Amino acid sequence: MLPTILTAQRPHFEALAKAWQSAGAEAFVVIVNGFPLVSWPPYADAEEAVLVENIWAGHKKVGELRVIGLSSAEARAHLQTEARLISSLIQANENLQGVTAQLIDTQDQMLALYDLTQATREYLDLNTVLEQMARETTRLIKVEATFIMVQRPDESWLIKQYPEPILDLVTLEHMLDIVQTTGQDLLLSEEEVESAHTDIRDLLLMPIQIRESGQAALGLVNKIEGDFLSPDIKLARAIAEHAGAQIENALLYQKSLEQTKLQTEMELAQRVQLNLLPRQQPSVVGIDFWAGSRPASQVGGDFYDFLQQEGRPFTFTVGDISGKGLPAALLMSMTRTAIRAKVHDIPVATPEVVVARSNTELYDDFTEVSMFATIFVGQYEPANRQILYANAGHSPVIYCPAGGSARLLEADGTAVGILPTSFSENQRLTFAPGDVLIVATDGLSEAHNTRDEMFGYDRLLRLTESLANESAQAIAESLYQTVNEFSSGKSQDDDQTVMVLKGI
Amino acid sequence: MELKTRQVNDVAVLELEGRFDAHTAAPVRDIFQEITSQEPACIVVNLANVHFVDSTALSALVAGMKRSRQLGGDLRLCNLQPPVRMIFELTRLDRAFEIFTGEAEAVQAFGPQVESR
Repeated sequence: MLPTILTAQRPHFEALAKAWQSAGAEAFVVIVNGFPLVSWPPYADAEEAVLVENIWAGHKKVGELRVIGLSSAEARAHLQTEARLISSLIQANENLQGVTAQLIDTQDQMLALYDLTQATREYLDLNTVLEQMARETTRLIKVEATFIMVQRPDESWLIKQYPEPILDLVTLEHMLDIVQTTGQDLLLSEEEVESAHTDIRDLLLMPIQIRESGQAALGLVNKIEGDFLSPDIKLARAIAEHAGAQIENALLYQKSLEQTKLQTEMELAQRVQLNLLPRQQPSVVGIDFWAGSRPASQVGGDFYDFLQQEGRPFTFTVGDISGKGLPAALLMSMTRTAIRAKVHDIPVATPEVVVARSNTELYDDFTEVSMFATIFVGQYEPANRQILYANAGHSPVIYCPAGGSARLLEADGTAVGILPTSFSENQRLTFAPGDVLIVATDGLSEAHNTRDEMFGYDRLLRLTESLANESAQAIAESLYQTVNEFSSGKSQDDDQTVMVLKGI
Repeated sequence: MELKTRQVNDVAVLELEGRFDAHTAAPVRDIFQEITSQEPACIVVNLANVHFVDSTALSALVAGMKRSRQLGGDLRLCNLQPPVRMIFELTRLDRAFEIFTGEAEAVQAFGPQVESR
């Protein structure tokens, strides 16, 4: 470093030499490594010098200044000052070089991160992001291989190794455990890496911080040319931080994608379900009939149906699958199909037989998914103006004879899918003009208001009595409206289905 | 909803408190799953402090009952409050479950069955 300073500041050194010469010195010599580097006049014999002062770079001697032909205390003090000044100059120069190196490092790092961002910014899919990241990191830090491991929200691991898999999952998880418990980087030398991996010389593993998610880590294997030094570790740390943000984005994107997909599926299920419900009201001799269903925001399992077949009695049914969502929607369509098939195919398909056969057919499937379906099946016999029905755990079913008081028709059997055998039997009901039968679902009776009170059966019964003179449609609409007003301010939690039959 | 479990001899007693509905049924399902993962799957659910059950809650109870019976055990209910009792009667779930007035009675009813193991 002294030679560098000398080259750069040569005119100044020359001025010093001239000053000494005019002060009476024979020669001024700069010594490096014990040999004269330069002297004024040239080739002076520095061995005879009396005045000798060392030049220091920190604590290391880097050279000497020698003056020949002078020996006064004043001259010695002068030379000492010059040597100190040159030492300071060397020190300042070194500091400058250090800062410059750091700046270059930082710039390199920023460029590397820029490259990394460019390489991964186009991708939102976690798989691709990790792949690109592993590849770029391998190139930027100059290692033989890189791996990135991320724990997905379901706790399974996603691991990308570039260019090819080096470590098995058990080893990776073991190392990750260490990193996660200590919270610090892990630098392993050849001896410290599991002996099974003989091709691994050194390994740097650091945690990647991801908000609101599981663990993640970045691993670098076999530094090319030399060891992992401080700048490599710094760059790796910067990459790990950057990776954390990228992975977070990818995870968020994936989540929103899944939610959208689920939403679409639910909407589809709801549409399918609504399409399964009859779109027109039937016309039945002797009965004013109206049925409708208001689906809750979440897909529920309510359904209603009716069948009119030549030579068979008019058959109507209302059902409610326990639970919500896709499983309820699926079982609802299964149950509806089972009932339809029974009504259609069995020679004398009385409600009791329809319920019993449907239960036998659906019991295993319902058990499998821990659900059940309450079912009401009714048939109108115009000849004797009677309704024959079977009730498998369904409520509320309200019967209000003309001018009389309304009462609940309680089920005699459990819902379909609860017990292997059905207990529901055929029940008979006189259905004269003015009589009203309402088959609703619990979405109506269990509607809550903001004070957490339930609409309940009593209100339903009283309401039925007060509406008994209306038409079937008017009764249903008033029921909806009253329950709606009662639970205003609360979201509708469950499907609400109403089927009204009125004798005419 | 509050949820407490106790073991009385070989019978797992589950005490529920509050609304037992779609929002609170999941942990109960999980507990049933755990209890019915080994014999004897004898469960008593004490509903003394439950004043509302919806169909999701009922299906959780039915699932627990079916699983325990598959293992030779049972799921029995006790202390049904009037609104809950009404739901059981209206849906005829009282025909599917063994229902007792008090907890001790429900546990005792397992007596010979449990001791014979």
